[in-house]
Amino acid sequence: MTDEKETKGAPAKKQKLNLNRVDMPKQSEHERRHNFDEVALGYTWELAKEEASRCIQCKKRPCQQGCPVNIDIPDFIAALQREDIEEAAKVLKRKTSLPGVCGRVCPQELQCEEACTLNKKGAPVAIGRLERFIADWERTQGTPTMPEMAPSTGKKVAVVGSGPSGLTVASDLAILGHQVVLFEALHVAGGVLMYGIPQFRLPKEIVQREVQYVQSLGVDLRLNTVIGINYSLDELLRTDYDAVYLAPGAGLPKFLGVPGENLNMVYSANEFLTRTNLMKAYRYPEYATPIKMGKKVAVIGGGNVAMDAARCAVRLGAQEVYVIYRRTRAEMPARLEEVENAEEEGIQFHFLCNPTAFLSDGRNNVAAMELIRMKLTEPDESGRRRPVPIPGSEYILDVDTVVVSLGTSPNPLIPSTTPDLNVTRWGTVVIDERGRTSKARVWAGGDIVSGGATVISAMGEGRIAAASMHEYLSNGQKKIIPPSPAQDDDKTQ
Amino acid sequence: MYPIVDHEVLAPRVHRLRVKAPVVAEKAKPGQFVILIIDEKGERVPFTISDWDTGAGTVDFVFIEVGKTTQQLAGLQPGDALLSFIGPLGRPAEVDHYGHVVSVLSGYGLAAMVPILKALKEKGNTLTTIVQAPDPERLFGQKPLEELSDTVIWALGTKGDGMMESTTVAMRKLLNQHPRRRIDRVIAMCSLCLMRVLSEMTRPYGIKTMVHLTPVMVDGTGMCGACRLSVGRTNRFACVHGPEFDGHEVDGWEVLMARRCTYADESILQQGFQCRGCSQW
Repeated sequence: MTDEKETKGAPAKKQKLNLNRVDMPKQSEHERRHNFDEVALGYTWELAKEEASRCIQCKKRPCQQGCPVNIDIPDFIAALQREDIEEAAKVLKRKTSLPGVCGRVCPQELQCEEACTLNKKGAPVAIGRLERFIADWERTQGTPTMPEMAPSTGKKVAVVGSGPSGLTVASDLAILGHQVVLFEALHVAGGVLMYGIPQFRLPKEIVQREVQYVQSLGVDLRLNTVIGINYSLDELLRTDYDAVYLAPGAGLPKFLGVPGENLNMVYSANEFLTRTNLMKAYRYPEYATPIKMGKKVAVIGGGNVAMDAARCAVRLGAQEVYVIYRRTRAEMPARLEEVENAEEEGIQFHFLCNPTAFLSDGRNNVAAMELIRMKLTEPDESGRRRPVPIPGSEYILDVDTVVVSLGTSPNPLIPSTTPDLNVTRWGTVVIDERGRTSKARVWAGGDIVSGGATVISAMGEGRIAAASMHEYLSNGQKKIIPPSPAQDDDKTQ
Repeated sequence: MYPIVDHEVLAPRVHRLRVKAPVVAEKAKPGQFVILIIDEKGERVPFTISDWDTGAGTVDFVFIEVGKTTQQLAGLQPGDALLSFIGPLGRPAEVDHYGHVVSVLSGYGLAAMVPILKALKEKGNTLTTIVQAPDPERLFGQKPLEELSDTVIWALGTKGDGMMESTTVAMRKLLNQHPRRRIDRVIAMCSLCLMRVLSEMTRPYGIKTMVHLTPVMVDGTGMCGACRLSVGRTNRFACVHGPEFDGHEVDGWEVLMARRCTYADESILQQGFQCRGCSQW
């Protein structure tokens, strides 16, 4: 046990550690199966005060180091302890423009809360819930607190994609005095926060409120504009912009490549969630976009997106929802909290099996799938246990709707129209440790770089790139080094 | 917002809208499409671009009233505006000098094929155009088709007056003359069933046959995967790899047709919009 050593730096006055983490109220399982309202209801002020009081304000601030965007966590909790919520909001806003989002969807258990000193006793301070409380409080206060804005630098930046990564770069650079234009291909800003994460986990009003906040920093949002189509990256660099940040996000969904996968009622998770969340199909016919749902739904995959799809299916009226995952529960990439929520909502997990074919009802609708049982190999050199099929173990499961949730490949629009942008063989854009791409004046982050990760990691990449872009933009050079045309020609011809 | 600047009724339930969208007009090419949303509760619906004017910054498309959104569109007038208008999406149609090109049009294709025919004409191709409509009343846009084509064959469901009964009869006659009167390429922008039949008709002759497919789409920018289809045994996405595909390489037409009609009952209000023997009704 090292906790005594660790807490040496705590305030001199001895205090007993409070290990009673305050629960956050949730909608009951029964109730929430039938609505798209938010499941977690958030702390009241009383609960928030109680939870904040558990923080021992240790000197090492491990939580802050655990945060990909380096939020001054002990400081906002200290403000709460002083009952100064406004100050707490100010502290948050120093490092994030999306506290309402992060407080809800960050995997805190792997980041700030994992690092929390109290986690050594198994009861980390509920940092995410406190962040959410502050963001929600601020939202009820009318005008949000504004950060100090640097004077205009006269530099102009294009940010491509208004998901979490793009929003972070846009707000960071706007605060630093640069003129920012934020391009979005869809008809609303927010990227995966709007089309992907469901209303019951992240209400869209909260996303839009935080988008408006970013706009209030002077960011010029241009919806319905596809970079790679309406303007090429080279056109942006040639015309108005001193630098560009690329965060166009996910691209084409991956499929299993087994027979019958294009049958009717086999969805990609992206389509299923886009219809449901972005287009609000759960409110059809008030909203014009429909979604067809059967009674027995199989969701293929074990990530957070699979959990979201399964939980949407429950709310859209499915009688039985199965999650099909080829490894075991222990290897599931989804957050534990989401898996538990899914289980509470009656979703059934089928581990160690994988679809080998989808079968038709004779009218080209999916009616069943053939699965094969899997087993995990002994750990290989990397320590990873691979799933392998058990020959002859095929069986049939009746389903009338399938959602394939196996991730996406990066959006090819920009790489395919920018020959001198280096990409990996998987199509992800190559960056260095500061977010710079192979192309001068171009940085990148988010799913186009990672191939698919979390909201907060996309924000973290944005934070790093924004710092690098700011350094570049403020180093006094004038409209700098246009990428040498001779070189470009060599590569493109 | 994207203002409607012109609305013309071309035939019963057939409309042409002209929308102010300079960014779209700037880059439009033959065979590409737009995705629009009427208002904040609307759905995203794709339409093939039928004309554009870079100077005026306008884009035209032609649609037939078949469902909820198209009926709502039919009620819009100059002064109204669309919430969203994204494009030009998809790859442009392949255009080169091929020689003798036979194109087959029906429905919105009567207008949306015009930019492709124009481009083919500029490349010095000889153009034979088969135009299908249910009856003469529902025919529209004849003038540019006549001007651009060397020969126009009208397939209007009535014999006589130089009209053919059906597109397939007309096509069969042309194929019977091949290779004496050689056909170098076929391009079809018509119903899915007809494009399938045409592809099978030309296959034995080895005449390259391009089809313009219109699967259901949601985002239209390569993200959702709704518009996937199997081409040459690999999954392709009509919104980024199409909408023009080699008809001889498309496999799983039946699945494609079934997927096309997934939402027929939710989205399509028009009674009698039903293919014979359709699996979805």
